[in-house]
Amino acid sequence: MAQNKKILDLRNIYTYFYTESGVVEALDGVSFDVNYGEPVGIVGESGCGKTVTAHSTLRILPKNGKTVAGEIIYKGVNLLDLPDLQMRRIRGKEIAMIFQDPMTSLNPIFKISDQMTEVIALHRKCNKKEALEIAIETLDLVGISEAEKRITDYPHQFSGGMRQRILIARALALQPSLLIADEPTTALDVTIQAQVLEIIKEMQKKLGLAMMLITHNLGVVAETTKRVHIFYGGRVVESGPTEEIFLDPKHPYTYALFESIPSLEKDKTRLETIPGNVPRLINPPKGCRFHPRCKYATEVCSRVRPPEFKFGKGRRVACHHFEELDLHIDMEAIRESRKAIKEEA
Amino acid sequence: MVTLEEYETVDLFSNWDQKTQPIITIDNLKKWFPVSQQSILFSRVVANIKAVDGVNLFLNKGETLGLVGESGCGKSTTARVAVKLEEPTEGSVYFKGIDIFQPMSREEELAVKRQLQMVFQDPYSSLNPRRMVLDLIKEPFDIHYPDMLYEEKESRVLEILAKVGLEDYHALRYPHEFSGGQRQRLGIARSLAIHPEVILLDEPVSALDVSVQAQILNLLHDLQKEFNLTFMFIAHDLSVIKHVSDRVAVMYLGKIMEMCPTGELFRKTAHPYSVSLLSAIPRPDPRIKMDRIILEGDVPSPINPPSGCPFHPRCYKAQEICSKVTPQLEELQPNHYVSCHFPEI
Repeated sequence: MAQNKKILDLRNIYTYFYTESGVVEALDGVSFDVNYGEPVGIVGESGCGKTVTAHSTLRILPKNGKTVAGEIIYKGVNLLDLPDLQMRRIRGKEIAMIFQDPMTSLNPIFKISDQMTEVIALHRKCNKKEALEIAIETLDLVGISEAEKRITDYPHQFSGGMRQRILIARALALQPSLLIADEPTTALDVTIQAQVLEIIKEMQKKLGLAMMLITHNLGVVAETTKRVHIFYGGRVVESGPTEEIFLDPKHPYTYALFESIPSLEKDKTRLETIPGNVPRLINPPKGCRFHPRCKYATEVCSRVRPPEFKFGKGRRVACHHFEELDLHIDMEAIRESRKAIKEEA
Repeated sequence: MVTLEEYETVDLFSNWDQKTQPIITIDNLKKWFPVSQQSILFSRVVANIKAVDGVNLFLNKGETLGLVGESGCGKSTTARVAVKLEEPTEGSVYFKGIDIFQPMSREEELAVKRQLQMVFQDPYSSLNPRRMVLDLIKEPFDIHYPDMLYEEKESRVLEILAKVGLEDYHALRYPHEFSGGQRQRLGIARSLAIHPEVILLDEPVSALDVSVQAQILNLLHDLQKEFNLTFMFIAHDLSVIKHVSDRVAVMYLGKIMEMCPTGELFRKTAHPYSVSLLSAIPRPDPRIKMDRIILEGDVPSPINPPSGCPFHPRCYKAQEICSKVTPQLEELQPNHYVSCHFPEI
């Protein structure tokens, strides 16, 4: 039964890039799943393997990249075994993707109508006229006013937020079951980000989409997703229900990440920092990849890769010491400062 | 070693009264960039991009003023004019009581620039890749203190590197050998080398990962205390702004909408734009459920900004007067400046 709930199940994925300076171990045994109709967050800093995960799933890695081991089970089929032709039918129709940069994801020399109807006609097997109708309908759905008129415009005639809406519409017009959104709001301003997030959330609910939201913005994850997987150095270090992880992180990295962001609720003059930098994945640290930056690291951390401990309701954490650590976000203090702010207002 | 002050030959600022006068006053500053149309022989100006359109603000000694706004609102242009990298179209900038755009000798101009420095956003493109760190940081001394002995310059470079948390051996390296966070440290070292009084920081942390961002924010905080620096901190991330600044100025479309102590911006938000901006931020706490004000539409083009209040087409409180009369920045409560016909306080 539990098996049937999963739309996407990544099992022990290893993706390597072969570069002049060596082999980049971009994904090093990544396992996680996405359930039907569920929004899931993928969080991590740059270079931690978030985007590579998405690209591995869709098999759109660049030439020097290869998924060398693991299984990507989508609706019971291992995508890594599919022939190219069948994989093409999966991309877009089954799994759609929205990319980070709305400025470069649309071809500047074609009208929006051309760029949308082409994919719709191909995947939904209809003629151009029907495709155009579907396109207008979905554009309308994502809040582009006067869609019939504007569909004949070129990409440069739209602002960043509008372009991102068009990309969302193009992805949704194919009625996919899984949407991968790779940093969909990172390039946008806060007020526009709020608009686009609202649309993504609404669409996800309305269409019952499963969604993989890749982002480094913890606020966006907290508001949009039910479950979250924290990435570090090409591995999943912690995963579980969003609310639990935000309130009670168990991995030292997750904890440090939360403490290092300036918050509107907390009043602090100094931020907690994580010493050092994000590791390079050519020759990554041995054992736990976080150990050179971890305050709690012991000898075993530098030798042995931490196993995944399962506990609670679907929580997993990869840390040798998670049971001994008492990483508590001081919620009491936050609550009090919030109360004080309210009273003053 | 003698202090840098003893090298000072120009006495420009003797009339400045530190107790009563702000260190920088920006008075009705306008910076328009002409858009020209080329014909075969001639070009003519067809429009102006009104990047900064009447900004008034002041900076007190020793404080941090946060300048926040969405992309294209004129934050960076304001800063660039304030450090004399650009000439204003109209208005003036006073530094310690002296109009920095008045005609002045080369010595006087250098004396102003010695005290006014800037840190740029992108640590990748703001350092010359062909020059060694030693030369990069020595350059300010070459320009401002040409008579200084080479050995002294060198030892000052090493001293400043230590201050920003880098080691002696880093002086012989090239920018590409550093990570993003370290490069930003170099940028800070370069601006700090000649002991300025005011540093304008243009999005100094927005290109960095969160864990590294916290390190730089802490470093800036320490340096400010040690050197008694005055900061103007430009950012689009309100949680960063809240963390670093004593006072905040909110900009929209080339104008200041609200300027007040940081705490008041969050407790007694007066301008509808600030209200919507605050409510648009995704909060990294899954339990906060907000009634979000989602602004309609996009930021209008600064080529043809709306008449009256620039925010009126998107404002939830707008009435007829807003499209006709431009509200002036007024001190509604002590130290709380707002430009709105219908403020929330």
